[in-house]
Amino acid sequence: MQTYILIAKSVWDQKFAYRLNFILWRVRNVIQFLATYYLWFSVVPVNGSIAGYSQHMMLTYVLGTLLVSAFTLTTALGDVGPEIQNGDLSNSLIRPLNYFMYWMAKDAGDKAANLFFSVIEIALIILLLRPPFYWQTNPWYLLASVICILLAIVMNFLINMILGFIAFWSPEIWAPRFLTMIIIQFLGGSLFPLDIFPKIMVQIFQVLPFQYLVYFPLKVYLGQIPLMQILIGFVTMIVWIGIMWISCQMIWRKGLYVYSAEGR
Amino acid sequence: MSLISVNHFSKYYTVYKKEPGFMGSVKSLLVRKYEEVKAVDDISFSVESGELIGFIGPNGAGKTTTLKSLTGLLYPTKGEVSVLGYTPFERKHAFLKEISLVMGQKNQLLWDLPAIDSFILNKEMYGIADKTFKSQLNELTELLDVKAFLEIPIRKLSLGQRMKMELIGALIHNPKVLFLDEPTIGLDVVVQKNLREFIAEYNKKYEATILLTSHYMKDVEALCKRVIMINHGKILFDGELSKLIEQYAPTKEVSAVLGNKISEKDIVKIGEVKRYLAPQITLRIPRAHIGDAVKKLIEIGNVEDLSVQDPDIEDVIRDIFSAKNPQES
Repeated sequence: MQTYILIAKSVWDQKFAYRLNFILWRVRNVIQFLATYYLWFSVVPVNGSIAGYSQHMMLTYVLGTLLVSAFTLTTALGDVGPEIQNGDLSNSLIRPLNYFMYWMAKDAGDKAANLFFSVIEIALIILLLRPPFYWQTNPWYLLASVICILLAIVMNFLINMILGFIAFWSPEIWAPRFLTMIIIQFLGGSLFPLDIFPKIMVQIFQVLPFQYLVYFPLKVYLGQIPLMQILIGFVTMIVWIGIMWISCQMIWRKGLYVYSAEGR
Repeated sequence: MSLISVNHFSKYYTVYKKEPGFMGSVKSLLVRKYEEVKAVDDISFSVESGELIGFIGPNGAGKTTTLKSLTGLLYPTKGEVSVLGYTPFERKHAFLKEISLVMGQKNQLLWDLPAIDSFILNKEMYGIADKTFKSQLNELTELLDVKAFLEIPIRKLSLGQRMKMELIGALIHNPKVLFLDEPTIGLDVVVQKNLREFIAEYNKKYEATILLTSHYMKDVEALCKRVIMINHGKILFDGELSKLIEQYAPTKEVSAVLGNKISEKDIVKIGEVKRYLAPQITLRIPRAHIGDAVKKLIEIGNVEDLSVQDPDIEDVIRDIFSAKNPQES
């Protein structure tokens, strides 16, 4: 276990070895957030509403996505594919390591570094913009949202792992990854709450994995989802995690058979 | 049973071919021609405990593929590979704790952090006791003279220092089998010599089994009693280095400094001239005729100095590979 803690710590240390890179990455996040924030600020009239969302509710939602995605969407797994491609995977294979644990540790280190900055950013945003932030006080909703976020982290981990494993068969890993990121941003609910869509769409989203990465945990936190729906959501997430976990293991095993340890 | 045994091992890769140019790219988008490349083709050998073996062969001969299969990175297309009684591809942790692979062209240490961070990580990963770790690290850093650089980020080190650190990282858990793939590539002669001496000493002291590939024949000459020569995925020779020279170099080199001036025409009668830089000459003489040749030289040349040597091993190897495949080399 100590090994994996050290790995997580080394990711944290390495993040700070490239300070400027990392800080610019965070600035990008803030700008992206501000764009969405001011878009909704101007679209929704002060005393009116759009699709049942008042300006106050909408801004609360948008601010919430910043916090939730800091937990669920940040990941170190962008490197899985390139490592397979350039042969650096060999470094993990010849050591007595559990490959999945190894990446979980790296992911944790990466999340920790990103969260550290997110918290500062969000505090600054709240101080400067004074947006309507919602403090959930009901312990049950808090507990449910924590469980939700943990499940979402696992889901995002598996999605990224599978995307990375494409590299065993094809050198073209960037395009699928980029496409998935866009889909997650859109169908995950990072830009707007998904329930502004027609009912039929909302029902489709409930079956797909994407909304559980941002939209669902956030709505649970905001206390806007009834208990029964929360439980159905948990079950759906667990089923998706099961499917992805099994696929991930199968793809990994198949991939190792064709791995050619390239790069020299 | 041997420590390492390789039985009829083959590794094939499928690669796709693309015709040149834009249309070639479009074509390859729709239809791809795949081709099988035999990186290693039906080789067998075994290694006993404590041996230090050199793999030699030109680029793409299959040396690295063999090492990668022995360390469990590659799945053998055919045949069996066994190391320390394990099947490498299963990558059991008990097996991985007993081996190490150092690649001269690849970093294993954390690039942005000081070497000591990587070593501490290895300590945990391999479950090394505090005391063993300290003494081992102390000994290795002293032998390789890199103690002063432990706390500098790897990326700031020179290639030589980095390679030494890589070696320490690979040896800190005291592996029974060590695989070295081009460990001296790109290093200056001083560091090359340092590493060579270190590897020899490590082999002796810990009775570790070492398999080494190198392009520098000096490495192989200095370290390995036994060599395995590979080309086009096949073993051409497996045995003692001296036997290789006997087998593949039927001539010896006779060098002499002559007191009399003799024309090249007369010398050619004695044997093939390799170099003629009067008064120094070097001749290539078949092993069986050395005695006669020397006698003749002394008779006609008023010899002031004379030596008989095996040809430069590098020349021998080059001759073998270029003869087998004239278009390469």
